[in-house]
Amino acid sequence: MIEIPRGAFARPGTSLDFKTGTWRVERPVHQRRAAPCHSACPAGEDAQAYLAKAEVGDLRGAWETLVAANPLPAITGRVCHHPCESACNRRHYDDAITIHGVERFLGDRALHEGWAYPVAAPGSEAPRVAVVGAGPAGLSAAYHLLRNGCRITLIDAMPAAGGTMRTAIPRYRLPTEILDQELDRIVALPGIDFRPQTRLGRDISLQELQAEHQALFLGPGRRKGREWSADFAVPGDLHTGLQLLEAWVAEGTLPDQPRSVAIVGGGNTAVDLARVLRRQGVEQVHLISHQRVPAPDVPADDAMRATSREVSQAIEEGVTIHEHRGVRRLILRGERVVGMELVHMKKLVGQDGRLRRVAFEGTETVLHVDHVIPAIGQDVDPEGFNGLVERGQMNVEPWWGELRGHPNIFSGGDARSDHGTVSEAVGDGRRAALGIMRRLSAQPLDPGAPPEPIPFDDLNVHYFEPLPAAREPVLPPEHRKGLEEIEGGLDGSGVRNEAHRCLSCGDCLACDNCWTLCPDQSVLKTREIAADGSHYVFDYDYCKGCGICAHECPTGYIRMIPE
Amino acid sequence: MNEQPVYSLDTLRSRQPRFRGLESGHRACQGCGEALAARLTTEAAGPDVVVANATGCLEVFSTPWPQSAWRLPWVHSVFGNVAAVAAGMEAALKQQGRATQVVAFAGDGGTFDIGFQALSGMMERGHNVLFVCFDNEAYMNTGVQRSGSTPHAAMTTTSPPGKVRMGKRHMKKDILSIIAAHHIPYAATASVAYTSDLRKKVRRAMDTEGASFLQIHSPCPLGWGHDGAATIEVARLAVQTGLFPIIEMERGELIGTLPIREPRPVSDYLRLQNRFRHLFADDYRARKELEHLQAIADRNIERFELRGIRPESYDTEGADTVHRGGDRWA
Repeated sequence: MIEIPRGAFARPGTSLDFKTGTWRVERPVHQRRAAPCHSACPAGEDAQAYLAKAEVGDLRGAWETLVAANPLPAITGRVCHHPCESACNRRHYDDAITIHGVERFLGDRALHEGWAYPVAAPGSEAPRVAVVGAGPAGLSAAYHLLRNGCRITLIDAMPAAGGTMRTAIPRYRLPTEILDQELDRIVALPGIDFRPQTRLGRDISLQELQAEHQALFLGPGRRKGREWSADFAVPGDLHTGLQLLEAWVAEGTLPDQPRSVAIVGGGNTAVDLARVLRRQGVEQVHLISHQRVPAPDVPADDAMRATSREVSQAIEEGVTIHEHRGVRRLILRGERVVGMELVHMKKLVGQDGRLRRVAFEGTETVLHVDHVIPAIGQDVDPEGFNGLVERGQMNVEPWWGELRGHPNIFSGGDARSDHGTVSEAVGDGRRAALGIMRRLSAQPLDPGAPPEPIPFDDLNVHYFEPLPAAREPVLPPEHRKGLEEIEGGLDGSGVRNEAHRCLSCGDCLACDNCWTLCPDQSVLKTREIAADGSHYVFDYDYCKGCGICAHECPTGYIRMIPE
Repeated sequence: MNEQPVYSLDTLRSRQPRFRGLESGHRACQGCGEALAARLTTEAAGPDVVVANATGCLEVFSTPWPQSAWRLPWVHSVFGNVAAVAAGMEAALKQQGRATQVVAFAGDGGTFDIGFQALSGMMERGHNVLFVCFDNEAYMNTGVQRSGSTPHAAMTTTSPPGKVRMGKRHMKKDILSIIAAHHIPYAATASVAYTSDLRKKVRRAMDTEGASFLQIHSPCPLGWGHDGAATIEVARLAVQTGLFPIIEMERGELIGTLPIREPRPVSDYLRLQNRFRHLFADDYRARKELEHLQAIADRNIERFELRGIRPESYDTEGADTVHRGGDRWA
């Protein structure tokens, strides 16, 4: 920019001597606010931040931002129920951003390129922490403890890491090679001492672990099938859903080939098993659930616990779902099941204010099936935990995951009563790692909470163009036979499309709107990024506080606050 | 990266990557659309320009004695003759063989009414001057009196709504058709809500040999009765409803428009402003006037064929789309 000096302008005698900032009653401030995708992510990812990096082509930076919260993006990009997309502000505009597709793409790209996790090896004086269980919760805890400079002993009873991700998630949702590649990279990190086939209570005791480590994280998952506490006779050869599912995942076959099966339960195990049975050629697969198929208008406490996408794909594949039904009794011929009596049921609020299931008399129906499989959940196996397991689960403080009454012992993942997904487990591990760091440095565990997300109304979406979401290819139901992955993921152009669609909620786009629209020249553009992460500085000497910049900020990053 | 960079605001101000023709510290009201329009205009026209400025808000708020907010040679003319002064300056510069361009600034009063005959003469004689009219639709400097530019049914101090009238009785003068009749090489309308379009038109006018004319719709929070923060939104709605068509003319012929992707009802625009609040009363006259204004907007959309989407997304939705990193197209 060539400035032509002119006699007519000299600093003395210009209006710059007159500070119009004194007129102000409100001042604009830059305030980064959490995007709804960030607040909604159980793993704690800031999708807005990595989409911003992906948009400018910095894929590695995007992946590093992503794995600052979640070390398993190639896995969660496939299996997560992505609440981020249900919360995405763009859904009020056209469609939500396909965040899981971007996450999966970045995770796969990192595996393909061999990008190293941004962690350093801990020193020999580093604090030692033991992690029990190498499922998503334990792996996440180990990884985040390592990022915070700890040395970790990671034990697992199984021969390989992965927990439920390896034993009970079908391959058509999560291919083995992806699982292996991502997990092998984590357990191989310097500073993590991974000991497979080491069972707590058999190969090592809780006391030994406590003696050698300054804190513990317990992520045992739930491996113990629940007794089907039905007040009727149960046939002796009953398999639980989890057992069958694990057998199929491990061997690709099932013990026998029934013609019709009823699965009792509405969680992911039940739905996965139903789909596996259809793949095995079982003609009629019935799912009996007290709740309803998840849908936007179904309240959360009345929806099946399984992921909405999995339920709808199961229906596409020919699974019949019986909503709001319970099992009255089994109809036996000798030892053999020939059917079951169902009854309509619903959860109602009782006199004491608690929800209880009510069966409606006179609504009984008979369903003829050869086989009944309960998939009604599992409990934590208490062996080796010396009484830390209460009623089949870990009783923890909800945010940090510290066991109540046991400082320095943390837990998370399926072992908690309230969590049951891979992403929740990753988030539990991350927060527990932070909690352990606080305990080790004698800081209090303040009650935590996810950040308050910026609402859609605080954006100015006039400045965005409608653009349809990139859709990933999905295998049509008639082709879903074997282990082939159902969802295809996004390609590079799809990722660019989605990154470009992101509204950048609550974060500076550097779009120049405030700089362009200030009538008082009191927004100054900076060459180097300003202290608050934006590209602009307010000159409060002259800002009159009109609020144009805040009103026209597309992302809601500028707010007016009273002087 | 997260360290506070060490800069003084003064240094930062002097290093802004744009020409600052109208500096901070001027006395315009909060959220002034005209100050923004003048800033954008000089930004695109400068630095090698001289400005003649008619009496009005812009002149008063930018030059309270002994200070000036202008960073370019600037002369104040009386209310009615800014075009004549600019024409004289242009003739003198031409005589000296200098390339410095002349720009004339006036409000709607100094353009539509008081300065009109000098403007007509300047255009008819073909002076190489860009005449910019900051159209805030009334005499704001003296306290909101109606002008030839005040829209039909607007309330001003001299067109109050009451038992007999619903605000201003007469129509807004169609100044651009009058300009078109002078057959000048370039004339256009612009709005502070579409800044890239505005700057592009200033540059195009500067590159035009001969007289050119620009009418910039500049909301006045005080005179129109809206919040200072809503200035851009009000300006945007004036365009999106069709009440202020964004068009370009060469030699009096229409050569370009900013198409409206989805026209909005005029009530969306009127409701934001106190000068139209009497139109929302529950009576027949108010309803009739509201329909009247809708009909005016519909006629504009019809006359200039404003409905549609441009392939290069140069329309009311695409013209101000933001991009990460701020790569505006003008």
